[in-house]
Amino acid sequence: MSKIGIQRAFARLRRTPAFAGFTLFMAVLILNIIVQGPKAFFSARNINTLFSKNMPLLLTTMAMAPLLISGVLDISIGIQLALVNVVSIMVMQEWGVSLWVGFALAIAASLAVSALGWLTVSVLRLPAMLATYSLIYIVRGINVLIMSNPQGKVPDAFYKTYDSLIFGVIPVSALLLVFVFLGWTFLMRTKLGRNLYAVGGNPRNAFAAGINPVWVQFQAWMIKGFITALAGISLTLMTASGNPLQAEAYGMRSLSACIIGGLGFGGWGSMSCAVFGAGFLVLIQSAVYYVFDLLYRLIPGFTVTSYWQNLVSDIIIFLGLLMTIVTAKGQREALKQGFVKQFKGGENLVKS
Amino acid sequence: MSSHESTMTASQRLQLFVRSSPARMAVIISALLFVITVAINPRSFNMNAFSSILLLTLLLSFASAGQTMVLIGGGLDFTVGAVMSSAAILTTYVMNGQDGKFMLVFVLAMAMGAAVGLLNGFCAVKIELPPMIVTMAISNVVTRMQYVLTQGKPGGFAAPSFVRSVIGKLGGIESLGIKGFIPSLTLYALVLFPLVFFLLNRSRFGKQLYLMGNNPTAAQLAGIKVNKIRVLMYVFSGLLSAFAGMVGAAYMGTARCQIFDEYAFSSLVAVIVGGTAFSGGIGNYAGSIAGALLMVVLSNGLTVLALSQPIRNIVQGVVMVLLLVMYNRARAVRL
Repeated sequence: MSKIGIQRAFARLRRTPAFAGFTLFMAVLILNIIVQGPKAFFSARNINTLFSKNMPLLLTTMAMAPLLISGVLDISIGIQLALVNVVSIMVMQEWGVSLWVGFALAIAASLAVSALGWLTVSVLRLPAMLATYSLIYIVRGINVLIMSNPQGKVPDAFYKTYDSLIFGVIPVSALLLVFVFLGWTFLMRTKLGRNLYAVGGNPRNAFAAGINPVWVQFQAWMIKGFITALAGISLTLMTASGNPLQAEAYGMRSLSACIIGGLGFGGWGSMSCAVFGAGFLVLIQSAVYYVFDLLYRLIPGFTVTSYWQNLVSDIIIFLGLLMTIVTAKGQREALKQGFVKQFKGGENLVKS
Repeated sequence: MSSHESTMTASQRLQLFVRSSPARMAVIISALLFVITVAINPRSFNMNAFSSILLLTLLLSFASAGQTMVLIGGGLDFTVGAVMSSAAILTTYVMNGQDGKFMLVFVLAMAMGAAVGLLNGFCAVKIELPPMIVTMAISNVVTRMQYVLTQGKPGGFAAPSFVRSVIGKLGGIESLGIKGFIPSLTLYALVLFPLVFFLLNRSRFGKQLYLMGNNPTAAQLAGIKVNKIRVLMYVFSGLLSAFAGMVGAAYMGTARCQIFDEYAFSSLVAVIVGGTAFSGGIGNYAGSIAGALLMVVLSNGLTVLALSQPIRNIVQGVVMVLLLVMYNRARAVRL
């Protein structure tokens, strides 16, 4: 009886959008366990490092998800992490207030930038990819205006707490992920959840059904702004210092993570997709590191630089992108259509 | 049409003008920007500035050539920057300051560009990945490859004769004491521009490319081998980017990893400003050259005004948003 239950559960899982990402995630998870050995992998220290070092990417990917679901995207999300970082550090440093005040203002700054993104992409209806690429320049400029060069220090208590374990098992950083996931799950049970999918699927139909697409997308941008702020805060706690020009690559990486996880453009996919996709990237990075480590030990005289590791993990990300297309055929058409929309302004582009 | 025009607002009329003649518009805006720059800082009006604008415009228009083709064909190539950087590194490493290796470098760079283009085309066609994602992922891999091969260090120099053939000045009359101001890169342009014009406007490939960009299904039904054309356009883009990278290496003298990565996006903006539509099938190379001029004049203006780097960044971003507003707005959901 239980066997049938498992089969049913599996069949249900297969039908969810997250299946492709889940499969890839499990594959690299097993790979990691094999390469590192189960004992080393599941040690509290290793799990803690995995969470604390990769929480910014995980949260950034989760921030991207609501946007993708509602049919837009933001490639400048990476540099926005740096904005949150510099605002929190500089507010604390220059005004001599607690870091908490810095965080609060940083959240406000992140929401403001998201509102700017909403203005260009949803209100002015510019192609999301290009408009937000331009935003990278603007945010980068603002960052450097606020903090001209890397500086600042986070009080010990903050980053030590961030890097610690509750009861010696649960990483503190993981609480952020749980918080965001639960919050999102709650939001999905409200009307907003359905509206997001409706607008992402087809804004015109949603409008005809009495939903205001621009307003719904505003809510998506605000959710994204809030999660981005959390990601930036975790980045601040992780690096314990300020740098106006970091994390720009997170934009592209989080977008790849979403695609690998199975999020399509507009109305397809879920938050689990984002988590699995980001988890895949994180674990691939770690697997590549340990495989190279293994090679160093097995083959005497084998020396390569970290550049090789980067190359191999980027090739794997590329292959991962190829593989999603194979694993999720049905998703392909929707994804393609969506991408065309991001770039060309969709079928709505006013031709001359 | 006239009654329609009378009901239009000023901004709509501007948009119509921009759409009907983007190349002319780009040239007008560049001229205006240049005049403003000179008005603010009269010292910026000199032969050096003029020849540097010309040189950078040519370089950017070389880089935009492939992008123009790919956009007309309904695709998108983000590897332009990475291929340019790789070609530049290849050039300086292989030449290493010695003359007489131009042909070797040329063949190697073309082979590299063609290989990346082929990979782009293959992934865009066979696996049917969206072009933006596939070319971005490939561009990342190409960039990582640069670091692996050079260990992240800049190395080598472009050959002196090659450098002279790019940044040397022409048009001077020595007996009259007039110094030349036209960079000799123009000679390369005299070969490359007609070639691209021929490919786009006179060749069978060009005709099929426009058709395919306009409506791939119709093109297929009309008997055009759509996949072949699509792969071919990416290969051409790779070749042209690699060539632009070589010339860029001569301009810079030496090369480091990711030196020309910005060109991926600036070439894209130049092409859009030049009136090539994202939807494919519309556009021409003359527009892209005008767009390149606009981009270079803009960045020249920002340099002349001696704005600090962050302000320059912000202005650049805002200007790009404004350009997008003029050229690329989607229609409202509410009609």
